[in-house]
Amino acid sequence: MAHIKVIRRSMRPEEWTDLRFGWLKRYIYEDKFEIENIKVRNARQTGENDYEFYPEGWQPLKKGDMYFTPDGTAFFEADVFVPEKFRGRELWFSLKTAAEIIVKCNGKYVGGVDPNRERILLTPYIDGSTSLHFEMEGYNRSKPDDERNPESLSVRGCRQIFEGAYLAVINHTALDLVYDLELLLDIAKSESFNEDYRAFINRELNNALNLIDFDDVKNEDIENARKYVNDVIFANDDYKGSGDVALVAHSHLDLAYYWRRIHSVQKNLRTVLIQLRLMDRYPDFKYTHTQPQTYEMLEKYYPEVFEELKEKISSGRFEPVGAMYVEPDCNIPSAESLIRQCLYGQSYYREKFGKTVDNAWLPDVFGNSWILPQILLKSGVKYFVSNKMSTWNDTNRFPHNNFIWRGIDGSEVYACVPPTHFITWNAPSGVQENWDAYQDKNTGGQTLQMFGYGDGGSGVTEEMIELMHRFPKVSAMPKTEHLGGSEFLHKNFDGNQNLEKWDGELYLEMHRGTFTTKSDLKRLNRRLEYKLREAEIISTLKFLKGAEYPYGEIRDCYKILLTNQFHDILPGSHIHPVFLDTVKELNEVDARLESVIGTGEKYFNSLNFKREHLTFIEDVNGHSERLGVKGNWVIPNLAALSSGEIPWRTFAGEWCEIGDYVTTPFYKIKFNKDGSIESLYDRELKREWTNGEFNKLKLYKDNPGVYDAWDILPNYKEKEVPYRIISPLKTIEKSSECAAFEVVIGTEKSVWKRIIRVFRQSRGIEVENQVDWHEKHVLAKAQFDCNVLTREAVCDLGAGFIKRETHRNTSWQQARFEVCHHKWFDMAETDGGIAVINESKYGVGFYENSASLSLLRSTIRPDIESDMGRHEFCYMIYPHPKDFVTAEINNIAYEYNIPLVKADLTCENSFGELFLQTMKMSENGKMIVIRLSEQNGKRGRIELSGKVKILNMLEDVIGEATTLEYSPFEILTVGIMI
Amino acid sequence: MENYVKNILAPKLQGDGGWIDFVSFEFGVLTVVFQGECSKCLILDRCIDWIKGEIKRDLGIDCEIKAVRKKPFFWDT
Repeated sequence: MAHIKVIRRSMRPEEWTDLRFGWLKRYIYEDKFEIENIKVRNARQTGENDYEFYPEGWQPLKKGDMYFTPDGTAFFEADVFVPEKFRGRELWFSLKTAAEIIVKCNGKYVGGVDPNRERILLTPYIDGSTSLHFEMEGYNRSKPDDERNPESLSVRGCRQIFEGAYLAVINHTALDLVYDLELLLDIAKSESFNEDYRAFINRELNNALNLIDFDDVKNEDIENARKYVNDVIFANDDYKGSGDVALVAHSHLDLAYYWRRIHSVQKNLRTVLIQLRLMDRYPDFKYTHTQPQTYEMLEKYYPEVFEELKEKISSGRFEPVGAMYVEPDCNIPSAESLIRQCLYGQSYYREKFGKTVDNAWLPDVFGNSWILPQILLKSGVKYFVSNKMSTWNDTNRFPHNNFIWRGIDGSEVYACVPPTHFITWNAPSGVQENWDAYQDKNTGGQTLQMFGYGDGGSGVTEEMIELMHRFPKVSAMPKTEHLGGSEFLHKNFDGNQNLEKWDGELYLEMHRGTFTTKSDLKRLNRRLEYKLREAEIISTLKFLKGAEYPYGEIRDCYKILLTNQFHDILPGSHIHPVFLDTVKELNEVDARLESVIGTGEKYFNSLNFKREHLTFIEDVNGHSERLGVKGNWVIPNLAALSSGEIPWRTFAGEWCEIGDYVTTPFYKIKFNKDGSIESLYDRELKREWTNGEFNKLKLYKDNPGVYDAWDILPNYKEKEVPYRIISPLKTIEKSSECAAFEVVIGTEKSVWKRIIRVFRQSRGIEVENQVDWHEKHVLAKAQFDCNVLTREAVCDLGAGFIKRETHRNTSWQQARFEVCHHKWFDMAETDGGIAVINESKYGVGFYENSASLSLLRSTIRPDIESDMGRHEFCYMIYPHPKDFVTAEINNIAYEYNIPLVKADLTCENSFGELFLQTMKMSENGKMIVIRLSEQNGKRGRIELSGKVKILNMLEDVIGEATTLEYSPFEILTVGIMI
Repeated sequence: MENYVKNILAPKLQGDGGWIDFVSFEFGVLTVVFQGECSKCLILDRCIDWIKGEIKRDLGIDCEIKAVRKKPFFWDT
């Protein structure tokens, strides 16, 4: 017999209250006047402030008409004469819409309407005028600001029905009661509050609403109901809450995500404008806004609003936070990129607002590298805020919220990982949930609650502020205090001796796929990071020979790269047009930097150590081919920071035997037909390096679900995707320096060519991959089962290394089944190990003696076409004697990643053992800035030939020295006056 | 028609997280596949009407549109 669910049809008292609450909202508008002569002009945005208009031109827009187009912007105009009965009253503009509309009235920016707010106060901005001219710009998209908001979710879609625009007068008595009810109903429905208190609220709200006859609603009855709420519910303090919650108004703005970056210019304007208008109405309201890049865009395109913003910053109500230029991904960018995020971000804040911001505000980033604390501290940042680890970890509960974060070099910053999401609606339940989840109640002071709509901006609403003003009336709630971001941090961290400490990376136990998704962006990012280094070093040395230094060009190029390191761009979690925009922009930067670097007669070694490992040098007459380019494999033997000829000499002897085994001066190798290595015997070290599948291409079904581009699940190895060998391994080159073997394998949809190279003069075994990739939900990895007994793998972080356990003893190791690394990883015993060096890959997994380098993914959300098409990339297997430091794996990886360029330059100083991370002209043009990075975990000193200025990373002079003492993983910045 | 769908319509829908692929245009019927956000859009019919209007304006063709939604399995619940 089928089960028949019995549905209760009579109304429960709580539902009766809800119903009356809905009715009450109808009385918010005391009077409305429809604006009937609206005209609309459809367009599509093509640049930051450029539009392509549809041919129809201006069209009338009437209630019930369709408006907006896919990825469309619409411009509206209307003229209205204020009716007699509205004059002298507080006048509002009302427009219920799913779009994001910026509204100007009589030439002034009066505010914005969007799915989260439908009205704008006009009176203060129209100077009593009775003739109103509206100009509006709206952008509609199918993805609402926050998918957790059912109201905005229900109106998603490209084509909307115009519901009319109105002049309106508000019934403040009704509106006040609506807010009272909003607050109390949220408590009544929340299991976070005491059951008896909720029963009390339900009972008394019913009594309050009984005072209103909903068949004949009178204002005095609404007033009486309000009085009842105040005198009975708010006056009751029998139910005691506990806790102390700081409420910080904030709007998270993804510069690109389900929208192109160009749209963030208007999203930001709308967000800023809405907050400024709320400040006009609520004198106690203050708002916290990140990303200097967004301020820069506002200044460029909307100077009038920017000037108003500056005033509010001066008065302390609009608070710039976040020292970084954008909110970047904090796993993949290099140390220098993270430093430049701070340098250019802080430079802008200093120049425009006279402020050095002392916090990093990164609520949404997908984990944070261990190198970050030092970079922040030396960039004037003492406080770090990032939410994800508390709310998104899939395995372990991150144990702290307010704590000290200790970085790789021992630098310590105050860190706040708020207990709840960075987008909240400032409802009592959210405040209570935050306090309940807060783990540092006894040591951390207040807990941080950010409130405001976000992702696509928008921010705080009138409703959120009204509710906040009522919080002190609710005895059962935690104590709350509305603070700015910096106020919260200073108040709760400064001098706090009780804070717990976390020493290590802030690994996010989620979004592990973002180390690999959109492989082209990772490749371009790596390439440009080093190319910028090259351009700056060469430009500085040219400057010393009398040339102009290209300040503007380098800064522009850097800012484009930094913007595209945003945490939904570089990680690959965005729609297809964002990918196209980024590739285009980064390729343009590449071309601009080529021009800055120029050329010369000789090869230039920009590394500050002798370049003595095998390198591929392009030559149209070369004997080898790599990535489709002719050239030769040579050992440059170029001294540090010098230029010279690199002669090519043919080696006449026999160095490589090819039979069942391939024998080189270093190895005796047994290849499998698929290009994997069955045996890699080290002839020098007399040991076998393989213990299972080695250099084996593995394809896995990769189905993480809705967070497709973001996540790899721990069970990804459960289902392998078979492939076949189209063309078995064959020899394609045997020259005097290199022997190469090619195999072509394929699935039903994809073709993967692998070229494996062994060398006469190098221990490296290079694997070139040429892939025509058309999979769906497949993760490609290269597996290395090493004949190495180790419990830890060493991973390059770009400015130092981290050791990660390879066992799965506890849930903390289990959760780290896929981690981020930079140029190399290494698995070793005390007398030798295997490094794998890459030039564009970041994701890697370890288990016991095995490593698997992530190569490609094929996700379909948010981008159907993610990673489809042609890919070319290389990595190098590098078995080595001794440990990775003695074997100079880091230096070899730099040589592998930084191609030689032609420039006839030299530099006398090579700066000792530290890595020359940067050589540039200071932003003020008065110094040469040298940045040196200790990356091997050593302590030491450098004797200098003269006195230098000691700088922080913002290029402020903080001292002088003739000797530089350094400690493990320290990054030093010095200035040489010119 | 195929070029129009690919080069004119598709970039616009992609800008909203959607996706449209041309399948065929025969006997006045344009068959297209919708993916991405379009595949689960509650008001896709409105967009299809708009597409008809765009085709009429730009190509001078009155057509019917056969829309196939290709929704990923993880959105089926």
